[in-house]
Amino acid sequence: MIVCIAVVGHQNNPLYLQSFTEADDALKLHHIVHCSLDVIDERVNNPKKTGSTLNETYLGLLYPTENYKVYGYLTNTKVKFILVTTHLDVRDADVRNFFRRFHSAYVDAVSNPFHVPGKKITSQTFAERVSTIVKSFGLSSAV
Amino acid sequence: MGREVSESCVDNLMIEMVSAYCNRFYSTKPELAARRIEAIGYQVGHQLSERYTMERPRFSDHLEAIKFICKDFWAELFKKQIDNLKTNHRGTFVLQDNRFQWLTRMSIDPSPANADLSQDSSGETAENRAVQITSMHLYFPCGIIRGALSNLGIPCAVSVDTSNLPACSFVVRIKA
Repeated sequence: MIVCIAVVGHQNNPLYLQSFTEADDALKLHHIVHCSLDVIDERVNNPKKTGSTLNETYLGLLYPTENYKVYGYLTNTKVKFILVTTHLDVRDADVRNFFRRFHSAYVDAVSNPFHVPGKKITSQTFAERVSTIVKSFGLSSAV
Repeated sequence: MGREVSESCVDNLMIEMVSAYCNRFYSTKPELAARRIEAIGYQVGHQLSERYTMERPRFSDHLEAIKFICKDFWAELFKKQIDNLKTNHRGTFVLQDNRFQWLTRMSIDPSPANADLSQDSSGETAENRAVQITSMHLYFPCGIIRGALSNLGIPCAVSVDTSNLPACSFVVRIKA
Protein backbone atom coordinates (compact mmCIF):
# COMPACT_ATOMS: atom_id res chain seq x y z
CA MET A 1 0.00 0.00 0.00
CA ILE A 2 1.10 3.48 -0.69
CA VAL A 3 1.79 5.20 2.58
CA CYS A 4 2.75 8.66 1.48
CA ILE A 5 3.42 10.78 -1.58
CA ALA A 6 5.39 14.02 -1.56
CA VAL A 7 6.31 16.75 -4.00
CA VAL A 8 9.42 18.76 -3.22
CA GLY A 9 10.47 21.86 -5.14
CA HIS A 10 13.87 22.62 -6.55
CA GLN A 11 15.02 24.43 -3.42
CA ASN A 12 13.94 21.42 -1.37
CA ASN A 13 10.83 23.27 -0.25
CA PRO A 14 7.79 21.03 0.30
CA LEU A 15 5.03 21.60 -2.20
CA TYR A 16 2.68 18.78 -1.38
CA LEU A 17 2.67 16.05 1.22
CA GLN A 18 -0.15 13.57 1.56
CA SER A 19 -0.25 10.42 3.64
CA PHE A 20 -2.69 7.63 3.03
CA THR A 21 -2.63 5.70 6.28
CA GLU A 22 -4.85 6.20 9.27
CA ALA A 23 -1.95 5.95 11.68
CA ASP A 24 -0.78 9.19 13.17
CA ASP A 25 2.85 9.00 12.12
CA ALA A 26 3.03 12.06 9.91
CA LEU A 27 6.28 13.11 11.54
CA LYS A 28 7.97 9.84 10.71
CA LEU A 29 6.86 10.15 7.09
CA HIS A 30 8.19 13.70 6.91
CA HIS A 31 11.49 12.40 8.22
CA ILE A 32 11.65 9.61 5.65
CA VAL A 33 10.89 12.05 2.83
CA HIS A 34 13.54 14.43 4.10
CA CYS A 35 16.19 11.72 4.19
CA SER A 36 15.34 10.63 0.71
CA LEU A 37 16.11 14.14 -0.56
CA ASP A 38 19.73 13.55 0.38
CA VAL A 39 19.75 10.30 -1.52
CA ILE A 40 18.35 12.02 -4.58
CA ASP A 41 21.01 14.72 -4.44
CA GLU A 42 23.67 12.09 -4.17
CA ARG A 43 22.29 10.15 -7.11
CA VAL A 44 22.08 13.22 -9.29
CA ASN A 45 25.47 14.66 -8.49
CA ASN A 46 27.46 11.45 -8.61
CA PRO A 47 25.94 9.54 -11.47
CA LYS A 48 26.89 5.96 -11.96
CA LYS A 49 29.09 5.40 -14.92
CA THR A 50 26.39 3.57 -16.86
CA GLY A 51 25.37 6.30 -19.29
CA SER A 52 21.87 5.03 -19.99
CA THR A 53 20.51 6.03 -16.59
CA LEU A 54 22.25 9.39 -16.57
CA ASN A 55 19.42 11.70 -17.42
CA GLU A 56 16.35 9.68 -16.81
CA THR A 57 13.57 11.23 -14.83
CA TYR A 58 12.71 8.04 -12.94
CA LEU A 59 15.28 7.41 -10.23
CA GLY A 60 14.03 4.07 -9.01
CA LEU A 61 14.29 2.63 -5.54
CA LEU A 62 16.10 5.15 -3.39
CA TYR A 63 16.53 3.20 -0.23
CA PRO A 64 14.60 0.57 1.70
CA THR A 65 13.93 1.09 5.40
CA GLU A 66 12.64 -1.61 7.72
CA ASN A 67 9.01 -1.36 6.66
CA TYR A 68 8.98 0.93 3.68
CA LYS A 69 10.39 1.33 0.24
CA VAL A 70 11.05 4.81 -1.11
CA TYR A 71 10.97 5.62 -4.82
CA GLY A 72 12.08 8.85 -6.42
CA TYR A 73 11.43 10.78 -9.61
CA LEU A 74 13.11 13.99 -10.71
CA THR A 75 11.58 16.22 -13.37
CA ASN A 76 13.36 18.53 -15.77
CA THR A 77 12.44 21.49 -13.65
CA LYS A 78 14.18 19.96 -10.62
CA VAL A 79 10.94 19.08 -8.88
CA LYS A 80 11.14 15.82 -6.96
CA PHE A 81 8.35 13.32 -6.45
CA ILE A 82 8.80 10.86 -3.59
CA LEU A 83 6.70 7.76 -3.10
CA VAL A 84 6.74 5.77 0.13
CA THR A 85 5.14 2.36 -0.01
CA THR A 86 4.85 -0.76 2.09
CA HIS A 87 3.93 -2.95 -0.82
CA LEU A 88 5.99 -6.08 -0.62
CA ASP A 89 6.34 -7.01 -4.27
CA VAL A 90 5.80 -3.77 -6.12
CA ARG A 91 6.81 -3.91 -9.78
CA ASP A 92 9.03 -1.33 -11.43
CA ALA A 93 6.57 -0.83 -14.27
CA ASP A 94 3.79 -0.04 -11.80
CA VAL A 95 5.86 2.64 -10.12
CA ARG A 96 6.87 4.18 -13.44
CA ASN A 97 3.25 4.22 -14.51
CA PHE A 98 2.28 5.81 -11.22
CA PHE A 99 4.88 8.55 -11.59
CA ARG A 100 3.83 9.24 -15.14
CA ARG A 101 0.22 9.81 -14.13
CA PHE A 102 1.26 11.77 -11.08
CA HIS A 103 3.49 14.01 -13.20
CA SER A 104 0.58 14.68 -15.50
CA ALA A 105 -1.63 15.66 -12.57
CA TYR A 106 1.15 17.85 -11.17
CA VAL A 107 1.58 19.69 -14.49
CA ASP A 108 -2.13 20.39 -14.61
CA ALA A 109 -2.10 21.68 -11.03
CA VAL A 110 0.88 23.96 -11.67
CA SER A 111 -0.68 25.36 -14.87
CA ASN A 112 -3.42 26.85 -12.73
CA PRO A 113 -3.02 30.63 -13.11
CA PHE A 114 -3.88 31.11 -9.45
CA HIS A 115 -1.12 28.83 -8.29
CA VAL A 116 1.93 30.70 -7.06
CA PRO A 117 5.11 28.85 -8.02
CA GLY A 118 7.01 27.90 -4.88
CA LYS A 119 3.96 27.80 -2.64
CA LYS A 120 2.14 24.65 -1.63
CA ILE A 121 -0.37 23.15 -4.01
CA THR A 122 -3.81 23.75 -2.59
CA SER A 123 -5.95 22.54 -5.45
CA GLN A 124 -8.79 20.25 -4.49
CA THR A 125 -8.85 18.76 -7.98
CA PHE A 126 -5.23 17.78 -7.65
CA ALA A 127 -5.87 16.07 -4.32
CA GLU A 128 -8.74 14.10 -5.82
CA ARG A 129 -6.75 13.04 -8.85
CA VAL A 130 -3.88 11.96 -6.66
CA SER A 131 -6.13 9.83 -4.47
CA THR A 132 -7.61 8.23 -7.60
CA ILE A 133 -4.15 7.40 -8.89
CA VAL A 134 -3.10 6.05 -5.50
CA LYS A 135 -6.19 3.84 -5.25
CA SER A 136 -5.54 2.31 -8.63
CA PHE A 137 -1.88 1.68 -7.89
CA GLY A 138 -1.02 -1.97 -7.87
CA LEU A 139 -4.55 -3.01 -8.70
CA SER A 140 -3.52 -4.06 -12.16
CA SER A 141 -0.94 -6.36 -10.63
CA ALA A 142 -3.56 -8.15 -8.51
CA VAL A 143 -4.42 -10.72 -11.11
CA MET B 1 -6.59 15.62 -24.99
CA GLY B 2 -7.21 19.10 -23.62
CA ARG B 3 -9.61 21.67 -24.90
CA GLU B 4 -8.48 23.70 -27.90
CA VAL B 5 -8.74 27.36 -28.76
CA SER B 6 -8.39 28.85 -32.23
CA GLU B 7 -5.13 30.62 -32.95
CA SER B 8 -6.79 33.86 -33.93
CA CYS B 9 -8.25 34.11 -30.43
CA VAL B 10 -4.76 33.91 -28.97
CA ASP B 11 -3.44 36.48 -31.47
CA ASN B 12 -6.25 38.87 -30.64
CA LEU B 13 -5.70 38.36 -26.93
CA MET B 14 -2.03 39.30 -27.33
CA ILE B 15 -2.88 42.45 -29.25
CA GLU B 16 -5.52 43.50 -26.75
CA MET B 17 -3.25 42.79 -23.80
CA VAL B 18 -0.49 45.03 -25.15
CA SER B 19 -3.00 47.70 -26.04
CA ALA B 20 -4.67 47.55 -22.63
CA TYR B 21 -1.42 47.77 -20.69
CA CYS B 22 0.05 50.53 -22.85
CA ASN B 23 -2.98 52.69 -23.40
CA ARG B 24 -5.18 52.13 -20.39
CA PHE B 25 -3.38 50.74 -17.35
CA TYR B 26 0.02 52.38 -17.52
CA SER B 27 -0.50 54.95 -20.26
CA THR B 28 1.92 57.41 -18.67
CA LYS B 29 4.59 54.87 -17.79
CA PRO B 30 5.53 52.68 -20.73
CA GLU B 31 8.42 51.06 -18.87
CA LEU B 32 6.06 49.80 -16.20
CA ALA B 33 3.69 48.46 -18.84
CA ALA B 34 6.60 46.67 -20.48
CA ARG B 35 7.68 45.14 -17.16
CA ARG B 36 4.16 43.94 -16.38
CA ILE B 37 3.80 42.34 -19.82
CA GLU B 38 7.17 40.66 -19.43
CA ALA B 39 6.17 39.36 -15.99
CA ILE B 40 3.01 37.83 -17.45
CA GLY B 41 5.18 36.17 -20.08
CA TYR B 42 7.50 34.92 -17.35
CA GLN B 43 4.71 33.09 -15.55
CA VAL B 44 3.36 31.65 -18.80
CA GLY B 45 6.81 30.42 -19.81
CA HIS B 46 7.34 28.93 -16.36
CA GLN B 47 4.16 26.88 -16.58
CA LEU B 48 4.54 25.93 -20.23
CA SER B 49 8.05 24.63 -19.70
CA GLU B 50 6.72 22.39 -16.94
CA ARG B 51 4.21 20.91 -19.36
CA TYR B 52 6.44 20.49 -22.39
CA THR B 53 9.35 18.88 -20.57
CA MET B 54 7.13 16.19 -19.13
CA GLU B 55 8.08 13.28 -21.32
CA ARG B 56 11.72 14.13 -21.79
CA PRO B 57 14.84 13.01 -19.98
CA ARG B 58 16.72 15.69 -18.09
CA PHE B 59 19.01 18.12 -19.88
CA SER B 60 22.69 17.73 -19.22
CA ASP B 61 23.82 21.28 -19.95
CA HIS B 62 22.71 24.76 -20.96
CA LEU B 63 23.11 24.15 -24.66
CA GLU B 64 20.65 21.26 -24.57
CA ALA B 65 18.10 23.37 -22.76
CA ILE B 66 18.48 26.17 -25.32
CA LYS B 67 18.14 23.65 -28.13
CA PHE B 68 14.97 22.38 -26.51
CA ILE B 69 13.63 25.96 -26.51
CA CYS B 70 14.58 26.38 -30.16
CA LYS B 71 13.07 23.16 -31.39
CA ASP B 72 10.35 21.53 -29.31
CA PHE B 73 9.19 24.49 -27.22
CA TRP B 74 8.97 26.89 -30.16
CA ALA B 75 7.28 24.22 -32.26
CA GLU B 76 4.63 23.72 -29.60
CA LEU B 77 3.98 27.44 -29.36
CA PHE B 78 4.29 28.60 -32.96
CA LYS B 79 4.28 25.39 -35.03
CA LYS B 80 7.75 26.14 -36.34
CA GLN B 81 11.26 26.01 -35.01
CA ILE B 82 13.75 28.77 -34.47
CA ASP B 83 15.53 29.30 -37.77
CA ASN B 84 18.98 30.14 -36.56
CA LEU B 85 20.86 29.73 -33.30
CA LYS B 86 24.16 31.46 -32.64
CA THR B 87 26.29 31.45 -29.54
CA ASN B 88 29.53 32.94 -28.38
CA HIS B 89 30.13 29.94 -26.12
CA ARG B 90 30.35 32.31 -23.18
CA GLY B 91 26.76 32.42 -22.10
CA THR B 92 25.14 34.46 -24.88
CA PHE B 93 22.77 32.89 -27.37
CA VAL B 94 20.97 34.53 -30.27
CA LEU B 95 17.75 32.87 -31.38
CA GLN B 96 16.64 34.14 -34.74
CA ASP B 97 13.15 33.62 -36.05
CA ASN B 98 12.74 34.77 -39.64
CA ARG B 99 9.01 35.03 -39.52
CA PHE B 100 7.82 35.51 -35.98
CA GLN B 101 4.17 34.60 -35.84
CA TRP B 102 2.91 37.47 -33.73
CA LEU B 103 4.62 40.03 -35.95
CA THR B 104 3.42 38.80 -39.32
CA ARG B 105 0.10 40.56 -39.15
CA MET B 106 1.45 43.81 -37.87
CA SER B 107 0.92 46.78 -40.18
CA ILE B 108 2.50 50.14 -39.56
CA ASP B 109 0.83 53.26 -40.84
CA PRO B 110 3.50 54.77 -43.18
CA SER B 111 2.11 58.30 -43.31
CA PRO B 112 3.13 60.54 -40.41
CA ALA B 113 0.15 61.26 -38.12
CA ASN B 114 1.17 64.79 -37.16
CA ALA B 115 2.09 66.87 -40.17
CA ASP B 116 3.57 69.80 -38.25
CA LEU B 117 6.74 67.93 -37.34
CA SER B 118 9.55 69.01 -39.59
CA GLN B 119 11.16 65.82 -40.68
CA ASP B 120 14.19 65.77 -42.88
CA SER B 121 14.08 62.03 -43.35
CA SER B 122 10.55 60.83 -42.89
CA GLY B 123 11.51 57.25 -43.67
CA GLU B 124 13.75 57.06 -40.65
CA THR B 125 11.18 58.32 -38.16
CA ALA B 126 8.53 56.04 -39.59
CA GLU B 127 10.89 53.14 -39.01
CA ASN B 128 11.57 54.34 -35.47
CA ARG B 129 7.88 54.43 -34.77
CA ALA B 130 7.53 50.95 -36.20
CA VAL B 131 10.27 49.69 -33.93
CA GLN B 132 8.69 51.38 -30.92
CA ILE B 133 5.29 49.91 -31.55
CA THR B 134 6.51 46.42 -32.24
CA SER B 135 8.91 46.35 -29.29
CA MET B 136 5.94 46.52 -26.94
CA HIS B 137 4.55 43.38 -28.52
CA LEU B 138 7.82 41.54 -28.10
CA TYR B 139 8.09 41.83 -24.32
CA PHE B 140 5.69 38.94 -23.91
CA PRO B 141 7.73 36.38 -25.90
CA CYS B 142 10.87 37.60 -24.12
CA GLY B 143 9.15 36.83 -20.85
CA ILE B 144 8.11 33.42 -22.09
CA ILE B 145 11.69 32.50 -22.94
CA ARG B 146 12.99 33.86 -19.63
CA GLY B 147 10.34 31.99 -17.64
CA ALA B 148 10.96 28.72 -19.45
CA LEU B 149 14.73 28.90 -19.01
CA SER B 150 14.59 29.88 -15.36
CA ASN B 151 12.26 26.98 -14.63
CA LEU B 152 14.90 24.72 -16.19
CA GLY B 153 17.41 26.16 -13.76
CA ILE B 154 19.06 28.73 -16.04
CA PRO B 155 18.60 32.32 -14.85
CA CYS B 156 19.01 34.68 -17.77
CA ALA B 157 18.09 38.00 -19.32
CA VAL B 158 16.31 38.11 -22.67
CA SER B 159 16.16 41.04 -25.04
CA VAL B 160 15.05 41.31 -28.61
CA ASP B 161 16.53 42.87 -31.69
CA THR B 162 14.17 43.83 -34.49
CA SER B 163 16.28 45.22 -37.26
CA ASN B 164 14.12 43.81 -40.00
CA LEU B 165 10.55 42.76 -39.41
CA PRO B 166 8.98 40.19 -39.41
CA ALA B 167 12.25 38.57 -38.51
CA CYS B 168 13.40 39.07 -34.95
CA SER B 169 16.31 37.86 -32.86
CA PHE B 170 16.03 37.05 -29.18
CA VAL B 171 19.30 37.57 -27.33
CA VAL B 172 19.62 35.37 -24.26
CA ARG B 173 22.34 36.23 -21.75
CA ILE B 174 22.85 33.60 -19.11
CA LYS B 175 23.67 35.01 -15.68
CA ALA B 176 26.86 33.41 -14.52
